[in-house]
Amino acid sequence: MMLLIFAVLVAALALAWFDRERLAIAALILCLVLSAGLFLWEVYSPKYGFAMPWITVERTLLPLAAEG
Amino acid sequence: MSRHHSAELESDLAFGNYVYQLLILLTFAAILTAALAFQFGDGELPCPLCLLQRVAMFGICFGIILDFRNGFSYRNVGLSLLCAIFLLIVSVRQTLLDIYPREGHAYIGSAVFGIHMPVWSIIITLFLLMAYAVQLCVLGGDMDLPKIPAGAFPILKRIGSAASLYVIALAAVNLVAVLLQCGIGQCHTMGYALLQ
Repeated sequence: MMLLIFAVLVAALALAWFDRERLAIAALILCLVLSAGLFLWEVYSPKYGFAMPWITVERTLLPLAAEG
Repeated sequence: MSRHHSAELESDLAFGNYVYQLLILLTFAAILTAALAFQFGDGELPCPLCLLQRVAMFGICFGIILDFRNGFSYRNVGLSLLCAIFLLIVSVRQTLLDIYPREGHAYIGSAVFGIHMPVWSIIITLFLLMAYAVQLCVLGGDMDLPKIPAGAFPILKRIGSAASLYVIALAAVNLVAVLLQCGIGQCHTMGYALLQ
C-alpha cells in the first residue's frame, strides 16, 4: 500500500512538472485518500479501536482532609 | 472584496509572493533531504507514520511546484493547506502514540535539539500554517496576482524550477527506498525487506 501511495505521489509530481495540471491534481487527491486510508488502518488497534488509553488520566481520590 | 494595484506594485507583490513560495519549497526540500540523510547515513528506517508525513510534505511542495509551472493560484495554496492539515493530523497522532513510553512504543530515531521527528513535524506544520495565514492576510484579496506567471521573473523561475526538480527527484528516491523497505507489503523498521 505504501509503495502504491509513493508511486501515485511521484506520478502527481511528474504530471505537475509536465504541465498536466488536472491529472496531477487528481493524482495528488488520490494519493491523499490512499494515505488517509492507510493512516486509519495503521492507528487502529483491535484492542483499543482508535482510543488511546495510555494517555487517559484519572483523578486520584484523596480523603477530603488531605485535599486541604 | 478584491483589490487592484498599479502594475509596478502588482509586479513587486508577485515577486515577493514567488520568493515566499520558494523559501517554503526550499525549507521542505531541506527537511526531506535531512530525513533521507538520517535514513541512509545513520540507518534509521522510517516507520509507516513517518513515511506518511513525508508524503504530506511532498504534497505541500506539490502546490508550490504548480505555482512555478503554471503561475500562482489560490487553488494551489488550498492543495498545500490540505496536505499541511494531513501532516498535522498524522504527526499529532504519532506524538500521542509514543508520548508514554511502553513496550513496543517509544519515539524512534535521533532527537534533534532534544525533540523527536513527529514533534518537529507538528512545529513545522504550525509554522507553515502561520506562513500561509500571513500570506493570505497580506495578499488574499489580490485578484490580479494569479495573472503574473513565475516566468515574469526569469531568475526566480529558474531557481524555482531547479528546486522543483530536486523535490521530484527526492520523491523518486523515496519511492525506491519504500520499495526496498516495504516491498509490496507492510512497512517495518527492522530492515529493508527486499535486501534480506
